[in-house]
Amino acid sequence: MSMETNPMGAPGRTVSTRGVPIARHRIGVAGLSLIAFALLAAASWGFILLGGDSGFQELFSHETWANAGSFIGELAGKGSGERAAFLQPGKWAHAGKLAYETLAMSVLAIGFAGVGALLTFLPAARNVAVGELAPARRGLPTWKALYFVVRIIFTFTRGIPELILAMIIIFFLSPGILPGALALGLHNYGILGKLSAEVVENLDTHPARALRASGAGSFQMLAYAIMPQVLPQFITYLLYRWEVVIRTTIVVGFVSAGGLGRDFRLSMSFFHYTDVALLLIWYILLVIGIDLLCAWLRRLVRT
Amino acid sequence: MKHDKHPTLRARVSSRTLQAAVSWKAFGNLLESRGLLTILLMGALAWSLSAIDWGGPLAHAGGGASALQFFSALLSLDLSPSFLQVALKASWYTVAYAVAGITLAVALGLPLGIIASGALARSRKVRWPVVFGTRAFLAFVRSIHELVWAWLFVAAIGLSPMAAILALAIPYGGILGRIYSEILNDVPEGPLRSLRASGASEWKVFLYGRLVMALPDMLSYTFYRFECAIRAAAIMSFVGIAGLGYQIQLSLDDLLYGQVWTLLFFLVALVLMVDIWSGLVRRRMVP
Repeated sequence: MSMETNPMGAPGRTVSTRGVPIARHRIGVAGLSLIAFALLAAASWGFILLGGDSGFQELFSHETWANAGSFIGELAGKGSGERAAFLQPGKWAHAGKLAYETLAMSVLAIGFAGVGALLTFLPAARNVAVGELAPARRGLPTWKALYFVVRIIFTFTRGIPELILAMIIIFFLSPGILPGALALGLHNYGILGKLSAEVVENLDTHPARALRASGAGSFQMLAYAIMPQVLPQFITYLLYRWEVVIRTTIVVGFVSAGGLGRDFRLSMSFFHYTDVALLLIWYILLVIGIDLLCAWLRRLVRT
Repeated sequence: MKHDKHPTLRARVSSRTLQAAVSWKAFGNLLESRGLLTILLMGALAWSLSAIDWGGPLAHAGGGASALQFFSALLSLDLSPSFLQVALKASWYTVAYAVAGITLAVALGLPLGIIASGALARSRKVRWPVVFGTRAFLAFVRSIHELVWAWLFVAAIGLSPMAAILALAIPYGGILGRIYSEILNDVPEGPLRSLRASGASEWKVFLYGRLVMALPDMLSYTFYRFECAIRAAAIMSFVGIAGLGYQIQLSLDDLLYGQVWTLLFFLVALVLMVDIWSGLVRRRMVP
């Protein structure tokens, strides 16, 4: 019997062509996934809570909260004989310089990621590499190979967090802005590359095919039919990732020793908690500033 | 266009005030254009390149050699059964912390997101401050990276798995709350109006209308965040929490690059599996 999905779009319910509704208690991928996730959650929480030393009971002890309270007090400068760091203009200026370095690191990182993705996203798009937009038959095997190579690179760089990339890169490069920016850039290269390849895969191919039919070369097709559709979306993704990058820059700085992260790590290790508070203030200012800037820049893209 | 037949008119138009007005308009257009965007992006990249200290040595003295060692270790992965067991156990720790973190994040983000959407606020007088306050709170908690939270938690309540889970759940709760509130607000109004017209209370309109319509998008975004949580759980090692990141750090400290690569492959495989799973769910839920 032929079936068609219910026009109301209710999932898992089908209506026969004769119009007799059939109640179907079929569990789809979504339902199964939810059950699997619930089981996974139960197993994880069970493992953590029963494993001993989870720190869960301590969450309800008076001592823990007293410690937390005194930590917050120390961040605010209570109990220390010295003048709080955020009351000293000199320290503000110093932290400001670090914030400036952090900003440079984030821009450099997103720049690396953006340039890298722009150079390589094309062969990673299925419709360009092997599908309807594929170049002349002669070059096809090369493009097929390129498709797999670039996709594997995207997956690998995307799968490894920035901090671990930084831990590895710091083995080769001297500490500073560059290793951190490279680590951040590599990870975001994978993300941006995958996202922009997906944009190409979903784009309207009519203009490209029309151009080709009227005798345009590959480059002309790229410049006049593909890029104009891809670039606005690409820039939007780039700006979204920049917002993430600026939050992560401080973390990468823990190991690559550049910007706010370096001093954050040092101040935490020396228990200079008012310095930590000052660095956090600059960090939050930076994050909020970039969020606002990106919102404005995204408006420019849409015009 | 035809040739200009009125040179006198043209001369009048190009009087100084008008010229100024025209250039101001051009400036205004520039501020709203993609050309400006291109200039800004290029300028920012050039500035950031200039911020690097190009004078000093960029690589360590032995940097090239150790890079070569690192990449050649790709050919000598440590695949001994005992090490694979270590890697599997570390992967399970990472998954367990990620799952625990994301469930707690949903528990935080769902109520906050519902409040921030303003869907349940009765009077306008209450609505504005509550919505604005919740949004500001969500923006604050998500502006701080999870590892920074982790470090603050370790300093405040001591090193324990719970500290890492809370550190993951708080910024993720902030992100989920914001996205949930946006999804709840973007629901089409028509069905809600008809529910109201048939006498449903605001609570019922929310439960049977808004929430039901928003649920697929909310679930699919949560699954996407789960993938990010795996990576986040892996780097919690930095403050001393067990997992793949911790093992990677140990192997790096011992210069056992073969082990590092094996662990990296485990991490990538884990992320890829969750990615495929969440992709499957998303395609089903959001056509």
